[in-house]
Amino acid sequence: MTLQSNFKEIFLENIWGFLAVFSLSFFGILNQWVIAENSPIFWKNLVWHLAGLSFLIGFIWLIDYRKITLSIVWVCYILLTLILFILMIFKKRWIEFGIFSFQPGEYVKPVLILLISLLASKDPSPYLKFKNILKFLIIITIPLILILPTDLDYAVIMGVMFISFIIFLGVPKRILFLLSTVILIVGFIVFPLIWNRLEPHQKGRIYGYLYREKYEKTWSYQLNQALIAIGSGGVWGHGLKKGWSTRLHYLPAKHTDLSLAVWAETWGFIGVSIVLFLYAYLLYFGIKVSQKAKDWFGKYLCLGIILVLFWQAFFNIGGCTGLLPMTSIPFPFLSYGGSITISVYFLLSLVFNVSLRRHFFK
Amino acid sequence: MKNINFEDYLIKDFFRAKQKILKSLFWEKRLFGVKILIIFSFFIFWIRFFNLQVVKHSYYYKKAKERSVVTYVIRAPRGEIITSDGVVVATNKAVFQLYLDPELIKDKEDEVLYKLSKILAEDFGNLKERYYLARKTFLGRVLIKRNLNWDEIAKIMVRKYYLPGVEIEVEAERYYPYGEVYFHLVGYVSKITWEEYKNFRGNGYFIEDYIGRAGIEKAFENRLKGKNGAIEIERDAYGRLGKIVSRSNPISGENLILTINHNLQMKAYELLKDRTGAIVVLSPQDGAVLAMVSTPSIDPQKFITGFTPEEWNEINSKVDSPFLNRALQPYPPGSTYKIITAIAGLSGGIINDLNQHIFCSGYFKYGTKIFRCWEPKGHGGVNLIKAIAFSCDTYFYTIASKLDVDYLAKISKEWGLGKLTGLGWEEEKPGFIPTKEWKEKNFKEPWYPGETVILGIGQGYLLTTPLQLARVYMAIANGGYLYRPYVVKSINLVNGKNINIDPQLEKRLYLHPKHWEWIREGLIEVVKIGTGRAAFIPGIMVAGKTGTAQVVSLSLKKSKHLEHHAWFISYAGRSDPEIVSAILVEHGGHGGAVAAPLAQKLYKHYFGISEINVSQQEEYKEIIGNDTSE
Repeated sequence: MTLQSNFKEIFLENIWGFLAVFSLSFFGILNQWVIAENSPIFWKNLVWHLAGLSFLIGFIWLIDYRKITLSIVWVCYILLTLILFILMIFKKRWIEFGIFSFQPGEYVKPVLILLISLLASKDPSPYLKFKNILKFLIIITIPLILILPTDLDYAVIMGVMFISFIIFLGVPKRILFLLSTVILIVGFIVFPLIWNRLEPHQKGRIYGYLYREKYEKTWSYQLNQALIAIGSGGVWGHGLKKGWSTRLHYLPAKHTDLSLAVWAETWGFIGVSIVLFLYAYLLYFGIKVSQKAKDWFGKYLCLGIILVLFWQAFFNIGGCTGLLPMTSIPFPFLSYGGSITISVYFLLSLVFNVSLRRHFFK
Repeated sequence: MKNINFEDYLIKDFFRAKQKILKSLFWEKRLFGVKILIIFSFFIFWIRFFNLQVVKHSYYYKKAKERSVVTYVIRAPRGEIITSDGVVVATNKAVFQLYLDPELIKDKEDEVLYKLSKILAEDFGNLKERYYLARKTFLGRVLIKRNLNWDEIAKIMVRKYYLPGVEIEVEAERYYPYGEVYFHLVGYVSKITWEEYKNFRGNGYFIEDYIGRAGIEKAFENRLKGKNGAIEIERDAYGRLGKIVSRSNPISGENLILTINHNLQMKAYELLKDRTGAIVVLSPQDGAVLAMVSTPSIDPQKFITGFTPEEWNEINSKVDSPFLNRALQPYPPGSTYKIITAIAGLSGGIINDLNQHIFCSGYFKYGTKIFRCWEPKGHGGVNLIKAIAFSCDTYFYTIASKLDVDYLAKISKEWGLGKLTGLGWEEEKPGFIPTKEWKEKNFKEPWYPGETVILGIGQGYLLTTPLQLARVYMAIANGGYLYRPYVVKSINLVNGKNINIDPQLEKRLYLHPKHWEWIREGLIEVVKIGTGRAAFIPGIMVAGKTGTAQVVSLSLKKSKHLEHHAWFISYAGRSDPEIVSAILVEHGGHGGAVAAPLAQKLYKHYFGISEINVSQQEEYKEIIGNDTSE
């Protein structure tokens, strides 16, 4: 294989993935401009996206993912756990750094994916060993329990993300069965306990989801406004900065949780279809990379990232279209948020890293 | 040892290879599972978006618009109504209205209402009750007080900051300068009801609109209404108003020019004011309505300013409902119908000659039954002219006894009785003309000839409206031209053009020229020497017929409410007939004594003859009396 044809192959393999990322970044910047115009939110978002993109390119260029060692990840994991522990004591989600704030919870995802992928890649058998599964569960549970009191939704959704990750890594059917029965039983016992300790607004989200008409003005206000915004967009959308819901402040949390509703209102069904397609293509691209990767660490890493990005979008879209209860999960790219944006670009840089380094495998 | 090691190595290697292949295979399978999961989920979401944005788009768009765009309707001023001599009888007046927008005071309704009650010096409880009632029945803003004075406006404007949702607006409000005089003719307007709003919303009606309820206001609603304008303004989630989305100016309603003579209308109302009854005045030239009055009446302004509960109760509990337009209600016609009997007799070949006399001895014997003339002494020998002049019952009994009831009904219908006149108002009643068929159908017994005899003098099942009778006499006056009565002679369009409404001839009636002569002479004799002498005006030709319609039989007549209805239908002119009138006084008594004098006063007013100079009047009487005797 000549170098020339090699380069051509690499280019053709990755160009569409890159284009999908760039378009989504552009849409994200555009969407925040529609929402926030000239306010600091728009500029900060722009900075995050540009920083994320340069980080993405730079990381692919400079660092080889195979050089990430277990000891580095363990250090990161322990540090993160410590930070989360301290935050839990102070009952805070964010650490403020002047005008920017930093949400350590977002970085649980890359660290856990790296850690589990690394550990799992050491196991040569087709299915994970029981010992390993237990180990992973403990590794996942510690940070999630630390997040639980300050950010219930995120903790639960991250639970879904990583448990699905472990399942796809290969859990023997018997253990899978055992695991699901244990989760069900624990769920039944714990659910009433948790339910009674839930904050009113957390309960309200469930009520609002179940009885949309009854709580139209209270708990399902947010959902109804989102549905009106999405539905009023029609096929072609209201057009740039013309949407009533966005411009007249009817949409709550339009910068973050409901940013997809803003997009849907502005660009209509066509715009939504494009974003859904690009996002789904990006996930598909990740699976392809995972298939082609030559080492198990790379394969596992890609799968973990795909699942995290998938569930992230799943719960956000489900929430704002009323198919699932509302959760305060941002939509990657379109939503505003420094930590989420950086963490998404970091995860994607790992995917491209795996995809590109394959050709320089020694 | 070496051998074993080698084998060991082989087996180990084999297992390792197998494990590796299996692992790759399983991995492919799992990745396929992830792909399915992703595709399936995104497909579901895509379908969901399709459902929300394409299928249910109009529903959500409507919801979004209702939420984020406020529509302020600018009510179009209603068209004016002007009489033929240029007097404006229905117009619009600018008033300051105080509105409260419930959307803007959601949680502090009581607080704002309390402050308003202090400013307007009204009872808080009353105000609150009114507000909540209006909120329940009407959409949109609630009218708190109409026609604010300067003091109140100033007080509210000063405190505007503390009174959210309070809006003062200048609006055109209906104004009727002549009040009761034109109530039945012009009609009135009142606020649209919830039911009507639901039905008419498509026609450009708005929840704060007024709608015509009677008379011209109702019949010409579409012309008078105009087209409301609207301003659509964006409202954000905090209730702040933003930019104007769209704006359409109101188009005012079209003005109507009536055929009504204002002076005559005023006089007619003055004459009937303290009585119950109706006056209809027509022009014999084209059927134009010159005046139409019905009493008792209501001030139409009250439907806008509001009745006090006492006033409202009084209106609704009255025996003679003031809502009825008596000019269009059916009554027994009494002797005024005798003209129809005469016409049927003439055209049916029963009366052929003026020398044909019938002897009236005070009663008419038909079979075993005796029918009495109103004059117990009898009229002696009577021909057609004398019979009309003195309203001799015996003569008309005799003629009717020779007539078939269905022929009489046919002639009546030809002359416009028993059916709508073509005025086109909903409140108009057709009256009633009995036939054999009707009797058999409704009473299951045959028509008795005796009933035809009664019919001949206008008693029995007959019902006619004053307008119908006026039309019969109009046709007599103008020689058989039965015009449709009309009130609006032209419509001023918004673009400055006029639509002129031409008189419409319903049909031409033919009689032998001699017969016209005889009937007219009979009618003139009524006023000169007969029962209608009270209508005599020297120098003016007045011809008419009195009528006294029995409400109950004579023996039962005790209270005033059971008194006869008094009729006088006539036409008058200096030489040719210029004016036709029908006068009805409910339970008034005798037509000649009660209704005829009213006709005299009306005509005098019309022809400009003063009532003060009595001696002059007597003089004229002598001169004219001498003239006619020759």
